[in-house]
Amino acid sequence: MPAKEGKPSRDMPATKTTPPAKTGAARSKSVRVSSLLSEDVISIVSPPPEKGALIESMVKLLCGKKGLGDPAPFLAKVFEREKKISTTLDTGLSLPHNPRTERAPGAPAGLDPPSLLTNIFAALTVIPDGMTDPMEKDIPISVMFLFLSPDRGEFFPMHLQFLRSVASLFQPSLIGALAKAPTPAAVLELIRKAEK
Amino acid sequence: MVGKPSRRVAEVVVLSTAMLTFISFWRAAAIVLCDMASTAWYIGGIAEQAIGKGAPWFILGVMAFSACILALETESAAIFVRGGVYKVVREAMGRNLAKVSVSALMFDFTLTGAISSVAAGQYLAGLLNHAFPHLHIGWRLNPDAFSVFFAVAAVLYFWRQNIIGIEESSDKSLKIMRLVAVMGLVVFGWSLVTIWFKGFSLPPFSVSFDPHSLGWLAGTDWPRKIGAVGLLVAFGHAFLGLSGVETLVQVYREMEAPKHGNLKKACLVIFLTCFLLTAGMCFLAVGIIPDAERAKYLDNLIAGLAMHQVGPHWARLGLQAFVVGVGSLILCGAVNTAIVGSNGVLNRMAEDGVMPEWFRYLHPRYGTTHRMINMVALLQIGAVIASRGNLYLLGEAYAFGLIWSLVFNAASITALRFRRLGPREWRLPFNVRIGGTELPVGLGFILAVLLAVACVNLLTKRTATVAGIAFTVGFYALFWAAERFNRGKARGEHREKVNLRNEETVEQVLKHLDKPNRVLVAVRDPHGLHHLAKALETLDEETTELVVLYCRIHYGMSFGGDVESLGPEEEHLFTRVIEVAERSGKTVVPLMVVSNDPFYAIAQSAQAVGAGEVVLGTSGRLSLENQLERLAMTWGAMQKADQGAVTVRVVQKGGAEMVADL
Repeated sequence: MPAKEGKPSRDMPATKTTPPAKTGAARSKSVRVSSLLSEDVISIVSPPPEKGALIESMVKLLCGKKGLGDPAPFLAKVFEREKKISTTLDTGLSLPHNPRTERAPGAPAGLDPPSLLTNIFAALTVIPDGMTDPMEKDIPISVMFLFLSPDRGEFFPMHLQFLRSVASLFQPSLIGALAKAPTPAAVLELIRKAEK
Repeated sequence: MVGKPSRRVAEVVVLSTAMLTFISFWRAAAIVLCDMASTAWYIGGIAEQAIGKGAPWFILGVMAFSACILALETESAAIFVRGGVYKVVREAMGRNLAKVSVSALMFDFTLTGAISSVAAGQYLAGLLNHAFPHLHIGWRLNPDAFSVFFAVAAVLYFWRQNIIGIEESSDKSLKIMRLVAVMGLVVFGWSLVTIWFKGFSLPPFSVSFDPHSLGWLAGTDWPRKIGAVGLLVAFGHAFLGLSGVETLVQVYREMEAPKHGNLKKACLVIFLTCFLLTAGMCFLAVGIIPDAERAKYLDNLIAGLAMHQVGPHWARLGLQAFVVGVGSLILCGAVNTAIVGSNGVLNRMAEDGVMPEWFRYLHPRYGTTHRMINMVALLQIGAVIASRGNLYLLGEAYAFGLIWSLVFNAASITALRFRRLGPREWRLPFNVRIGGTELPVGLGFILAVLLAVACVNLLTKRTATVAGIAFTVGFYALFWAAERFNRGKARGEHREKVNLRNEETVEQVLKHLDKPNRVLVAVRDPHGLHHLAKALETLDEETTELVVLYCRIHYGMSFGGDVESLGPEEEHLFTRVIEVAERSGKTVVPLMVVSNDPFYAIAQSAQAVGAGEVVLGTSGRLSLENQLERLAMTWGAMQKADQGAVTVRVVQKGGAEMVADL
């Protein structure tokens, strides 16, 4: 009677189960977070404001500094996203952003401002005293990294990898250091060092 | 102020169950053959007592017909992974007939235990009676009395094993069948040498009935005047060779992928073994043992075959001891299979509310359904004592339950051809399309043969008919009364029993995984496991482990502490997970973690087990994009420096997927 083959050893080359065809573009290179930031889009606020007000001020700052035009449509999208599921992580990082619009596969992108973006635009606020998140009341927000990314299907993989990169970068040790940084320039320098 | 991490997994539980161990087609065939091939030890003698020297031809015919019965069970398995007579008949013909069919099946199981243990006793008595003179022991055992004593002891032994809950092992069945194969080769080989020296007389193709074998047809001329009736009567007396086929259905759920392909291979092995071994032994016994001598060995025919080979007496005695040893193993194995099978069937009835609740109580120490096991063992012992060791009587009674449960099964499969339209993985061939209707001619033929044999058996086997009907009525009454009493009460659905093992950290789950690649599938909704089924479809079981993760959400002060049991919804979920895994025939590692955030739980668990792929189902609350975003964030937050990339698939109900690399 045929014997069952022995179990494969751990040294076998890792082969994954073949995934189906991916939606959107192929995996893109990750974006360096520090390259998206400049001192004029970094702030340090104390005492802690209300979350909604902070988001509004950051969107307006970003649209103003980067020439994105009327902040209203971006603001509406970011607040829409905030209602769906929390963008706060237990490290104290909050990641508000504009959501992906659900479209049928192959449907053309919209003509609204988020769909017309061609790159990611980001702003950062450090809240040394911590800010309450209405959705995650037990996690004080110490850093809010707000970004706007192109709302087009082919950018979604990059959007996801950007989310992962930012979350991975802002670990408790960096957040702790940022809370003590005296100026936006110091904040930017810390982030650059962490990314290296 | 820096936020403290507070979303990490608090408790980790690895679940395990024997239901997630899948077996090869060889093992599945061995389990079935431990019941079906055991008939080789007694069918020859019983059939010859009923229909004369031509019995081997009819046994050959029944063994050839077994291919049809195996094909029937193959189609049944294509409809239900967890089938069995009760489920199939209930789906096709309703609950009442399902209860009747199971009542008949219980008669089959009861007499399987009785006939197998009595046959083993007869063989042992024969061997001891041959051995005693050589050992200068002046005893002579009464074979019938000894076989009753031995049979009761065997039933009690396996009753105890089942009460304690010692699982039937496919390892044991495989070892027994290997011994049977060796024994078969030795006996066949030695027989060829004997034939060379002593010659061989082929059994005549004839039947010789006595009044007992004709039952209520004795005194009529039908069997002689209507040749087909005579053939059916003879065929009916050889029908107990098909015993054990129900085991195939019960073992199907444990077969590894590709399930249906392996089922067909198992059926082929079963058919060839029974055809060659059972029929072959009967032909050799009739051809080699002189008629006058053979009459002394009708209750232990293969032992008689051993003693009539060429060679010195001590060698023949040695062969007889070998044959008896192997026979005792396989026959006693059949006793255990009958107890396990009965317990399984009765448990399924109980889940449907068709057994008195009293029977479902578990043993306080061993957790087994001891009252059902007690009942089955008592019935078997009762049958043994009532038979007083008369193998022929048991053989004649045995066929009642067997044939009628096969009739109900075949009728149900035929009915389902018309009631459950749509593609099936496999269907019995010989189907004729007339207009828009497909007529199952092949199925119809099998049903017609079974029904004809069953009806003829009713007339020719008085003891079987009376005892069988009484038994069936008794069990039906029990089921009917229980169903009426239980009506309106909440009936629990079937829930798999799983073992829980608490681990300190998620990383400790790694010791349960030994393949290089891992896939993690997150589950939550028992009715939304399409993504698990999809992941299993594409899983390369040789190189990849599939971890099924469920996150129990807990908040606040109740967070923490060992998990001691699953809640009812969690039991339901894991029962469904096991069903999906069974359907694919691929094993999974079920894992439960306690956390206050499912996405953190997924990310942390996937990273801890080194998953290269994470599979999610759709959420009623979140879009696919939101799910992927949240997972990307939590993945990043948990990610260690040396963490590799992961592919995330979100599978929708229709099969469409969204895939991303993180």
